[in-house]
Amino acid sequence: MLFIELLKTSWQSLRVNPKRSFLTMIGIVIGIAAVITIIALGNGVKAKILKELQATNSGKQTTEISYYPNDSTAGSQGFSEDDLMQIRSDFSASLSDVQFKRDTKNINKPVFLGNESRTATISLVKGANQHYTITTGHNIAKSDNEVNNQVALLSKKMAMKEYGTEENALGSSLTVSDKTYQIIGVFNKPTDNYNVDFLLPQKTYLYSTAAQNGSTIKLTFNKGVKVSAASKKIASFLKKNGSSKKEGTYEYTDMGSLLSGISKVISSLTYFISAIAGISLFIAGIGVMNMMYISVSERTQEIGIRLAVGASARSIMLQFLLEAIMLTVFGGLLGFLIGWGTAALISLALPFKAIVTVSSFLLAFGVSSLVGIVFGLLPAKQAADKNLIDILR
Amino acid sequence: MIDIKKANKFYGQGEAAFHVLHDIDLSIAEGEFVSIMGQSGSGKSTLINIIGFLDDEFKGEYFYYKHPIHKYTRAQFSKLRNQNVGFVFQNFKLINTLTVADNVGLPLLYAGEKRQAIKKRVKDVLEAVGLPDASEKKPQNLSGGQQQRVSIARAIVTNPKFLIADEPTGALDSQTSREIMALFKKLNQKNRTTIIMVTHDEKVALQSERIVRILDGRILSDKKVGA
Repeated sequence: MLFIELLKTSWQSLRVNPKRSFLTMIGIVIGIAAVITIIALGNGVKAKILKELQATNSGKQTTEISYYPNDSTAGSQGFSEDDLMQIRSDFSASLSDVQFKRDTKNINKPVFLGNESRTATISLVKGANQHYTITTGHNIAKSDNEVNNQVALLSKKMAMKEYGTEENALGSSLTVSDKTYQIIGVFNKPTDNYNVDFLLPQKTYLYSTAAQNGSTIKLTFNKGVKVSAASKKIASFLKKNGSSKKEGTYEYTDMGSLLSGISKVISSLTYFISAIAGISLFIAGIGVMNMMYISVSERTQEIGIRLAVGASARSIMLQFLLEAIMLTVFGGLLGFLIGWGTAALISLALPFKAIVTVSSFLLAFGVSSLVGIVFGLLPAKQAADKNLIDILR
Repeated sequence: MIDIKKANKFYGQGEAAFHVLHDIDLSIAEGEFVSIMGQSGSGKSTLINIIGFLDDEFKGEYFYYKHPIHKYTRAQFSKLRNQNVGFVFQNFKLINTLTVADNVGLPLLYAGEKRQAIKKRVKDVLEAVGLPDASEKKPQNLSGGQQQRVSIARAIVTNPKFLIADEPTGALDSQTSREIMALFKKLNQKNRTTIIMVTHDEKVALQSERIVRILDGRILSDKKVGA
């Protein structure tokens, strides 16, 4: 008999009793779905870690090293142009670029207001200011940014404190990093914000203070470099040689170690869930076996007839074995799809994507076929070994 | 065609073994229509199981076209059955979950034929047994006589050398019995198909050409009808 016909025969037999076939499958579906879900999540977190730990071949990876001064009033920002030069020359193999990360909000800087020196908090405005409401004078316009107008806005609190009225503040000069800005307006600080004293046009500010120092540097790595390890090395280099090593510390926040913590949790979960799924698959397999035994004894007549018209014992055995395998493989594929969906749903709430690979598919397919073969073999053998004379008598 | 020599059959083992057939000698030629008669328990069904390659556990010799069947393995038996014998049973023995066409085509499927060829052949034999429109029906929706026709169609679908019919009219009323017997006669005379039939109905047996009577596992008589 042709194998394709055997497949059709088995399929027909399963369809005779669709409810029973479906119920038999459920155990397999649940077992496979659980395994696929946890594997997809595990793959997702692993891929994410790899991305954090190592620059991929397709793109360059960046990290940041920040400086935290011991004394918050210290004048140094932590990184100087010399530090960058040093890093560039010492780590040229792995780095493609090092730059200051330019802060645009809540920059603490020494300024001169009028003739008085003080430390003030400055935020930068990109384009036209829309966040802060102007109470006196006029706003920073888009054109101010475009042509590098040296203008500034002063907070209402500071204006009242220094000038008595808002109007008095207008036209005063503010000096930041040797550049003088004219105060053109007074703004009202929104309640949800930090205590910002001055607003400056971003482009003007960045242009004029051609960054000779900063509190954070941005490292861009070459392809394939182990980002985490290299960043750590640079941080420890700075601890020894940095220009402000005595006044503070250089810290690298390792996202990789954070994620490998999650990864550890997931891999122990994988073992746990795999164990449960294994038990579920075993019980499901017994269910399949049970159903196949019932089916064989119910269909004794059919087996007798098939043998009488010339079926070989082998094709009877194959027919019943195929029935068992079909049940478990359909269950496995259904479980695969459900597991995929579940993993995708769960990953919506996690900082990484679930990844389903071809090997997960092959695992689902392989395990479910194996369950079918292992638990279908004995009933199929029983069907094939039936005594024809006894059946037909 | 069929040549059985000193066939013995036991049920059970050792002391408790029950001796069903005693030294049966039987020859059947091509084209014959033989009835085997006897009371229940006489061993007639056991004998046709041996003739029809259903039973491979017997003592003695069985030559089929000079081939020593008694030396064949079980796997060879299934092939032999598939290609040489057609069975018609008292209770039809159709698979109820399959359609009439699938039931009739089953032996061809196991012979390894293609679906298309099977379809055509099934249509032909269903016409030959007088059921041209039943192919898509399920067996339980047919009457007893119709089911027996389906069973005959299945038996002749492979063009077997001989048919084994075990009480083919046992479950049918007399009118239907006559129709079925007419069908057997037609197959025997038109197609020269050898038919070996077990019955305990004298009237049915008289329609065949030769009657073999069995009692307690021994051949009592072997006569031509009318002789």
